[in-house]
Amino acid sequence: MSFSLDTPINTALFLFILYSVQRIVFPSASATPKSTPREFKSGYSWMPKAHPPTVLFKTYTPKTLEPFNGKDNERILLAINGQVFDVTAGRNFYGPNGMYGNFAGRDASRGMAKQSFDLEMLTPLDQPLDKLQDLTQDEIDNMKGWIEHFTNKYIVCGRLVENNAL
Amino acid sequence: MASKNVSDYLATDDLTILLGLIAATVFLLQTFNKPQPLVHPILLGRQSDVARVRNPSESAVYRNYGTGLISRFPLRPGKDVHILADFVRSDQDLPRTLWGTKISNSALQDRVAAAGTGLIRLAGLQPGESNVLLFLNDCIEFLISDLALASHSIPSFTLTASNLLSQVLESHPPSTIITNGELLPSLLELIYDGGHNTQKYTIVVVGEPSARAMASVASKIKVLRWEDVEREGNKVEKILSPIPKPQDVFTVSFYDNGNGLQGAQFSHANLTAGVAAINSMFPAAQALSRLDTIVSGHSLSTAYGRAIAYSAIYEGTSFATLASSKLFHVDEATVKHDIADLLSIKKFPIPSPTILFIKPGHLEQLVDAILREAKKSFILNTFAWRHKLAGISEGFVTKDSLWDRLVYDGARARVIGEGAGTVRAVVVGEGPLPATVLTPARVALSCPIINTYTHPLVPAPVLASHPLDLQAFPTSNEKEPAASGPPSVNVEAKVVGVSDEVIEAGGDPEGLLLIRGPPVGRQGGVEESYVDVRKLEDDGWVATGARARIQTNGAFKLLL
Repeated sequence: MSFSLDTPINTALFLFILYSVQRIVFPSASATPKSTPREFKSGYSWMPKAHPPTVLFKTYTPKTLEPFNGKDNERILLAINGQVFDVTAGRNFYGPNGMYGNFAGRDASRGMAKQSFDLEMLTPLDQPLDKLQDLTQDEIDNMKGWIEHFTNKYIVCGRLVENNAL
Repeated sequence: MASKNVSDYLATDDLTILLGLIAATVFLLQTFNKPQPLVHPILLGRQSDVARVRNPSESAVYRNYGTGLISRFPLRPGKDVHILADFVRSDQDLPRTLWGTKISNSALQDRVAAAGTGLIRLAGLQPGESNVLLFLNDCIEFLISDLALASHSIPSFTLTASNLLSQVLESHPPSTIITNGELLPSLLELIYDGGHNTQKYTIVVVGEPSARAMASVASKIKVLRWEDVEREGNKVEKILSPIPKPQDVFTVSFYDNGNGLQGAQFSHANLTAGVAAINSMFPAAQALSRLDTIVSGHSLSTAYGRAIAYSAIYEGTSFATLASSKLFHVDEATVKHDIADLLSIKKFPIPSPTILFIKPGHLEQLVDAILREAKKSFILNTFAWRHKLAGISEGFVTKDSLWDRLVYDGARARVIGEGAGTVRAVVVGEGPLPATVLTPARVALSCPIINTYTHPLVPAPVLASHPLDLQAFPTSNEKEPAASGPPSVNVEAKVVGVSDEVIEAGGDPEGLLLIRGPPVGRQGGVEESYVDVRKLEDDGWVATGARARIQTNGAFKLLL
């Protein structure tokens, strides 16, 4: 069989083979791509698009905490013993229609200690913070247990101070 | 020719089938013969575990992804290592070579006990009261005295630079100084010059002091020879002291950070955490073992150098230091980090080095020399270079490839000499490594190159890059340093002084680097009177004095 490439298909295949062999034997000589890929599938030397999200640790008063109740604001915060937790992930519980929705945007310390979700457990916004002085040791331990639970499950994103402290 | 129609264009014959098969084979070869990356790139995009909350004008707290934010830090390389003496394992007794001495662990323990007893008896040291200055270049006597003093709870002082000696003698006069024979004349001169100090010194000399130096010893100074100290310790019954607690400070390392003399206090716990961190820098499949030989360019007087030495002792490897780690010279000597320095290791009877702890200058010179040698086989090198780069851009490198056998093994052997093939990891620290050196270094050495950031207060790397990381990013200028990687396994880091707007907009946090963790020592000299003691921020964060930028993949980049 004489070696002729009359047919276009043969020529095309032959060129393809030449090109591929050249790529195998003589690969490109740059390890650094021109623009950094943002996905790991696009290249080995890649850099993620964004930093992991972080929340700023803020100081809240009862009045500034109240809007974060799921109704006025997407984020849901609640405070126990001066620590403010971001419980947006638990919207089912702490959202407007949740079982514990009363606590959203409020100081829930007394309620956590006494294991009650009644509105009486909450102090009105313009009054000073609940000093929790009349709690028994059992109730204080219960509250500490809840703080432990919340610290593991949700993010501590702030602290709660008196209305006139800021 | 007559006009062709479509069927003529698509005519096939036997040749088509043959070419088709070849094309298919070549295509499959090209697609599936790509090497697998040594570490999946998805892991390199998340090298740190980041806290979800941050304080205003600070970044979040970053920890190594392997450690995670929830777990506790690794505190020790093995569960029974609590104090310095535990680094010398009694269950491993095979001899290995430390500098020029072939010694086993039990023999080392005997020498340490003898040295401790001898020092206490002959130099009159009081455990808990006396301090000993180790004005020694790196040698086995340094390690023996360090271990001996630590076991008797006598704090040792070390200097990270020779010009700090006079300041330390003035502010923290030790009762005893252990020094090399050749340094004795300059030491005596310094003591006599500081004439107002009527401290009585005892000097223990390692090696042979010259007769002239011995003749010039004043009456208030007692000079002993190291051999006599060890012999005395061997003769008599060993003095036993109460076992030190891990939190006891056993050494103070004096350094100058530009703000005057600083003292870094290290406890046993700091060193065990440091050794744990050094061990975890290497991938689990290539961990340190008895078969390794560690060569270090960091002086034992620095915290990092000491931790490397104890790492070597703990794992039972052979160990030696480069000539440039000699801090104290008889006369003015310029220290050069070059190939000759690396080759200075040949004067020790150690096996071929496998792990190198070197400085950026060493690496740059080494890589230049190897690549120059490789270019001598001109044609083969063009292919070899391209193939190596193609592998690295896919995340893969190996020392056993065809191109190594053809080109690079020979080049390495011509530069380092025989034994060039045994180097299996290189750790670069104590200086910024230019990013442009990384990829040529990976081609030339074809082994994991770990870039670290070290600090005089930490006996371990603060930041250490992933050992199998082969990523290369475009740099804006020649001098830009390579990324130093995420925090080491038992250090957490954050940057302060950042702009909140920049972070909320998604930019990289950039500011002063603060660290915290089990290996970080405490700032302050023993008496805390002369030394500038920085007020530790509440929660124990320590300022490194360096500026860093945190990349989205969790790696830190030090800014010059």
